[in-house]
Amino acid sequence: MSEPANNPTPNPNPAPAAAPKPAPAKPAAAMSRGDFLWLGWSALAAFFAASAAAGARFFFPNVIYEPSQKFNAGPAASYDQGVSTKWLNEQRMWIIRTPSGIYAMWARCTHLGCTPNWWGDQNRFKCPCHGSNYTIAGDVIAGPAPRPLWRAKVELSPLGDLIVDKSVLEDMPGKRELEPFFVKYPAA
Amino acid sequence: MPTLDIEKLKKEVIDSQIWRSVFRGGVWKDTPRDRAAHIIGNVWLHLHPVKARPRAMKWAYSWGMGGISFALYLLLTISGVALMFYYRPTVGLAYRDIKDLEFAITLGKFLRNSHRWAAQAMVVAVIAHMVRVFLTGAYKKPREFNWGVGVLLLTLTLFLSFTGYLLPWDQLAIWAVTVGTNMAGATPFLGNEGPFGGLMGMHINNDVRFTLLGGTMVGENTLIRFYVMHCVAVPLVVGILLILHFWRIRKDSFSAAPYKADEEKVDVWPHLVKREYIGAAGTTLFIMIWSILQNAPLESIANPNVTPNPSKAPWYFVGLQELLVYFDPWIAGVLLPGLIIVGLIAIPYIDTNPKGVGYYAWKERKFANTMFMLGIVMWFVLIYIGAECRGPNYAFYPPWESWYILKAAPPPTWSVFGPAHVGALPIALGIPVIGGLFAASMLLPKLIQKELNGKALMGGFCAAVIAVALVGMGLHKFGPVSGAFMLFFGALAFYFGFVMPQRHIRGLDWPRYLVTMGLVVCTMAILLKMCARLTFNIKYVLTIPTISLNI
Repeated sequence: MSEPANNPTPNPNPAPAAAPKPAPAKPAAAMSRGDFLWLGWSALAAFFAASAAAGARFFFPNVIYEPSQKFNAGPAASYDQGVSTKWLNEQRMWIIRTPSGIYAMWARCTHLGCTPNWWGDQNRFKCPCHGSNYTIAGDVIAGPAPRPLWRAKVELSPLGDLIVDKSVLEDMPGKRELEPFFVKYPAA
Repeated sequence: MPTLDIEKLKKEVIDSQIWRSVFRGGVWKDTPRDRAAHIIGNVWLHLHPVKARPRAMKWAYSWGMGGISFALYLLLTISGVALMFYYRPTVGLAYRDIKDLEFAITLGKFLRNSHRWAAQAMVVAVIAHMVRVFLTGAYKKPREFNWGVGVLLLTLTLFLSFTGYLLPWDQLAIWAVTVGTNMAGATPFLGNEGPFGGLMGMHINNDVRFTLLGGTMVGENTLIRFYVMHCVAVPLVVGILLILHFWRIRKDSFSAAPYKADEEKVDVWPHLVKREYIGAAGTTLFIMIWSILQNAPLESIANPNVTPNPSKAPWYFVGLQELLVYFDPWIAGVLLPGLIIVGLIAIPYIDTNPKGVGYYAWKERKFANTMFMLGIVMWFVLIYIGAECRGPNYAFYPPWESWYILKAAPPPTWSVFGPAHVGALPIALGIPVIGGLFAASMLLPKLIQKELNGKALMGGFCAAVIAVALVGMGLHKFGPVSGAFMLFFGALAFYFGFVMPQRHIRGLDWPRYLVTMGLVVCTMAILLKMCARLTFNIKYVLTIPTISLNI
């Protein structure tokens, strides 16, 4: 501290104050040095913060190297009625044949992404992670899953092969039973 | 024949320029000055005070859990760095390298085992440390901030475990991380499957889950991301927070144990440092023996298409997994963990009770201790159910029952409030009803200004529940098991959500009251929702599918 906090003996006879001099003219909009530094550092800090925030984009890859979502599931005629788990291990898809046709369902539980198992005797899919149950149509009948299983686009190639595209999905009753999520293929 | 004069040799070594340049100070005479110099003059020990109160050093007071947690962190660093010499984080090599560590590398199995078991021990030690600090009221003023740092360290301990879980690239790894990151996908606003996610423009390739995974599924990018977080990024943050944590402990006079008039402080060297060395050495021996006797699990190589049945999270997250059976992912996976973390950090600011700082005082801190321990017990009961009582298809199997018994399919579920054909009653009715019930349970203790007789309240409530249960059973709406569930969960929620708090928190100011009661009511809501599922097969109390909002 440059000055004493309080002076116990103020000078009883202060020298007569000099006639007040007009203060030297200052520019009206001048900023104190402290305020200027505050502003400068704050602006710089804001710039660094904004740059860091924008840098978050770095963590979103622009190109990802994941397997193709489209595959050939073989001749449609090779599927019997019911749930086929033939492609489960390779493509994570069930191919399901009904009396009127074929649809492909993505074996990913809509709850948290585990692969359910097909239990033919109870006629339902059951998830091993949190116990969600689905019908053969993919509708939830028990457990925590919030929505039905996804069905994928299926087409019949000119040679009679099933072409499944997992990047085109549908789960709305009414839509999922129509093309392109269903191939009409009546039993011979 | 020249004899070996040990004393002379020792003196010559100690007086040599080399020794003196490393260890300063004169001949050790074990004076208080020597002891103080040992603490002050040593970079590793100087975060200690020179003297401390003897009561603060008692094992029975501190359980030594903070020090043991740190010892485990050091053990994990050493064993982890060793494992990094052989482990390559790519999909093609990771699992092979773990197998090599197990079967082809000298000490590889031992080091991997110690890393695994030390990690699990650290989770236990950090939780025990938190419980001890809570029970001794040591989070109160002026230590509020350091308690918050501790909560963050607990969270990061769990996150380190989670990121490390993926690295062996086995079935356990990939499915735990698939489930964990899908929970991130259910984050409100920021996840593509979470409430309001669609409104925010979230898709599978731009949400928070995508960032964690570095893709749309657990794959190569995920492995390297988790590897970097596990080995570099998170340990760095933990290290910084640890320095802060220790510094604050030192600045806050080391321990909250209250002063006693006749108490004389003792030298930290040797009294405290000795205990720390004993704790660290004991911990190391324990981990060594455990790692020799038991091998870390390793399942078959990761298959992103087929899930093991049943599939379970690491044990400390099984409680959350169990909650996920009853709640939508955004609640059990995001909201509840968030509330637990925020609630824990908030505790020192809402607890205005000045008593019970620095000693075990159940009677003086009945409300705080009861509520905290209720939370801890609930967490571990859920872990027990998830770990021991869940079998194939995540069905309920008591521990003594064989998993080869095929369980009957679970009954269909229904929702109370929702759109037509989904909920039994309309949404427009549900929002005010649920909001009203929540507000009522929040405000009731404050509105009833006089203290109510707890025993009479509980008696009346239980009688009412039993009457309802008997009527329901008489009408064949549900069986005795459901009736028992109703009584159990109802009584728990009523006691801890109303009867117990109303005696203790009426005097709090409104902001503190609302935060406290909010945490209490949310905890009770968990119990009631579990009851609703177990008794009435209710899936959601309220569901609004258009915005993915399910409660």
